[in-house]
Amino acid sequence: MTSLTTLEPLVLDGFREAVGREHVIESPLEVFGYSYDASFLALDRSTVPQAVVRPRTTQEISRVMAFAHQQRIPVTPRGAASGRTGGSVPLEGGIVLALDRMTSILELDTANMMVSAEPGVRTADLHDHCARQGLFFPPDPGSWKFSTLGGNVAENAGGMRAVKYGVTRDYVMGLEVVLADGSILETGGKAVKNVTGYDLTSLFVGSEGTLGIVSKALFRLRPLPKARGVIRVIFRTMDEACSAVQEMLLDGVTPSAAEIMDATCLEAVARARNTRVEPGAGACLILEIDGDGASSLEAQSLRIDTITRQAGCITFRSAASKEETEAIWAERRGLSSAVAAMAPNRLGEDISVPRSAFPEVVRRINAIASTTKLRIPVFGHAGDGNLHPSVLCDLGNPDEAARAHQAVDGIFKAALDLGGTLSGEHGIGISKRPYFADAVGPVSLATHRAIKGALDPLGLLNPGKIW
Amino acid sequence: MVTSAPKTGPAPFAAAKAKVLGCDRCGTCLPACPLFQVQDVERASARGKNALVRGLAEGLIPPDREAQEALEFCLLCRACTDACPGKVPTDEAMVQVRQALADTLGSTPLRSRWIGRVLRRRRLVGLGAATLAGLRVAELHRLLPPQLVPRETSRRAYLKKHAGPALLGASAPRPEPAVHPGAKVAYFQGCGMKMLFPDASRSTQRILAQLSPFQQPDHPCCGLPHLAHGQREAFLDLARENIQAFEDADLVVTDCASCSGSLKHLTSWFAEDPIWRGPAERFSAKVMDLTEYLVAAGYQPQRLPDATFTYHDPCHLARGQGIRQQPRQLLKQAGKLIELAEKERCCGGSGSFHLEHPEAAAAILQRKQANIEGTGAQVVVTACPGCLIQLTRAADQSEGAFQAMHISQVI
Repeated sequence: MTSLTTLEPLVLDGFREAVGREHVIESPLEVFGYSYDASFLALDRSTVPQAVVRPRTTQEISRVMAFAHQQRIPVTPRGAASGRTGGSVPLEGGIVLALDRMTSILELDTANMMVSAEPGVRTADLHDHCARQGLFFPPDPGSWKFSTLGGNVAENAGGMRAVKYGVTRDYVMGLEVVLADGSILETGGKAVKNVTGYDLTSLFVGSEGTLGIVSKALFRLRPLPKARGVIRVIFRTMDEACSAVQEMLLDGVTPSAAEIMDATCLEAVARARNTRVEPGAGACLILEIDGDGASSLEAQSLRIDTITRQAGCITFRSAASKEETEAIWAERRGLSSAVAAMAPNRLGEDISVPRSAFPEVVRRINAIASTTKLRIPVFGHAGDGNLHPSVLCDLGNPDEAARAHQAVDGIFKAALDLGGTLSGEHGIGISKRPYFADAVGPVSLATHRAIKGALDPLGLLNPGKIW
Repeated sequence: MVTSAPKTGPAPFAAAKAKVLGCDRCGTCLPACPLFQVQDVERASARGKNALVRGLAEGLIPPDREAQEALEFCLLCRACTDACPGKVPTDEAMVQVRQALADTLGSTPLRSRWIGRVLRRRRLVGLGAATLAGLRVAELHRLLPPQLVPRETSRRAYLKKHAGPALLGASAPRPEPAVHPGAKVAYFQGCGMKMLFPDASRSTQRILAQLSPFQQPDHPCCGLPHLAHGQREAFLDLARENIQAFEDADLVVTDCASCSGSLKHLTSWFAEDPIWRGPAERFSAKVMDLTEYLVAAGYQPQRLPDATFTYHDPCHLARGQGIRQQPRQLLKQAGKLIELAEKERCCGGSGSFHLEHPEAAAAILQRKQANIEGTGAQVVVTACPGCLIQLTRAADQSEGAFQAMHISQVI
């Protein structure tokens, strides 16, 4: 494997030939910008790539991969670097393969309700493009305004609408993937039913760039809901809020988003927005409902009102105007930074448990907070059991840093104990790698390795990730 | 590779690093940054520049010319801060890191050093204004590049085109100023208005005179160009001179968004200075943007029924001072206002940025021009000479589709 020095001029020439001279970045200052993503990892000299290569077409990716394979150079694919677990951080030098120039939406097939696009297209742009034709691309990771589709597929991104509409995986019908040696694989297609061979499409979704480079993706779409509404409900406890969500789903009222936040989150938001928390408030649910029109929304809203009342809500507010809708969503969107503002550092985690275990995992996280003497506000997607505990700490204080890492360990353990998993939507990347083997067990780990060995025998694709 | 404690780094960059500590590199700023649209590489984005600041402070990036150039490539438009969930003040970090780099390497680029020197000397600014005025009379200014000497549209030409000569010289009603009745008003004539847009500056003075007598003390540059290019001491000297020059005034009104923006924020620069802290605070408290003052004073613009405007929000006015409604209120009284798509998106002027990075500035302006043309308005109005330089250029390129004017010329 290439050491962390400058690439040989001849090697650089090979990449320049593949994508054009101006699309290879090699200045040390410029490549520094490709050494991080949106994870909580510190900036580090060892993660600076030797060059950044920016292809425009599948053929160019193929040429880059064939050349990298021949030269034994590690390749770390990258979109907008908005991932939260270090998935696009180059751990072993080599090149960063930046796919941000591949920004074409290739075909919107309204008859089949499908769309195909290149990996560098921003999620929101695809959504808007489809919406103009009355079609709906539901996956909506929090970063949807700037995250790109290749990354969404590679990390199997989730989002707030997962409770009703599922995650990225549920929409991928087929992929074009450039393999480690430069060969081009096509999986899936427009046929809705397809049992021809292994489900290779699913294999690549969530593979975090370790098995191949997604150069094109085909997604299925839904009809765009005609109306949307937002409801904000305050409860005394997280238990009450969670049970309200359970009851809704059992009753057949499926909100398109069911976001939950605990008392500390409410306090953080109130502080950031200079408002006050309702007395006795211990949890808040922000629900989005959608349907065919006003009457459908009203019917759902009435059902939710009844159910939340029975669960013991303190206040119930259904947004009556666009402004009110915006105000309620702004509370949720500003949450992450409001929470971050409460301490010098924040280790924002992403675990997922069976929906029924949501209250219990919150109780265990509270216990961890009290043992480690740290504040750990919790928010997340109550509808699908995916939650984001934020360990607030000062990493500059060694004792506190140790307790923070202890808290993170405890949180992952609690999730696994309750039948949950290490990640709901952010992937494993670098930051959760130490927990992976325990989470999946030895047979699964060996299977993962066997697949990796078959597709990338030299271990050049996104090395150092997942395990 | 577990998260490690933040390292402390080379001291000169500590202040800048403190400003970007809240950046968790999420990427929200990427689509907001006009420069990232022009050069879609990480270095050009706000996130990339915040990371460079940390890289410098943590010793991962050498403080060299390349770093300096990368950090000069910022419009200071605050679009990133506006979009940022944590409101990281990237523009403030850029000012601080540029200062630290200039202290280490010397100021760059050459042109801004030269501009800085000229703008520090009142006589040179006056001389420049007189020379340009002379050139305009002789029509020789057209021989100079439009970035340096924009083709100003005069109010006279505007009235001639949109309202006819009958309205020339008609005076606006004279309401009693709602703010500080009897206050001593002073006009701060920024260098840009004085040298490049004398007709617009005369319009401002005409409007001010309609409301109350006003003073025009001799004063130097507001110092923003110096601050933006790592010439902090020059900025502080100029600030002290201005504080003294306007000692007698109760209100300091300026028609340049960049001047009002920087003059309103002098306090923080003197927070540690026992002598100048108080005077700086008093001075900043009396600074008003022209539109802010006019609305507060109840000024009623002339209405020209045929005039259609669109308004470009200067970064330093809208995001910098939160002044968005006042110019619109005045324009709605003066004619028909059609809102511009991406109205708060920087036009690419940004002080001397358009001179140092002409290609990037032109690319940003192209999008602005398309948006202006999309409104179908006859006049694009703004409230900052920096923007007006760019918009005048766009007007030239539009081949008569629209004119660009300062707000004081149309109200």
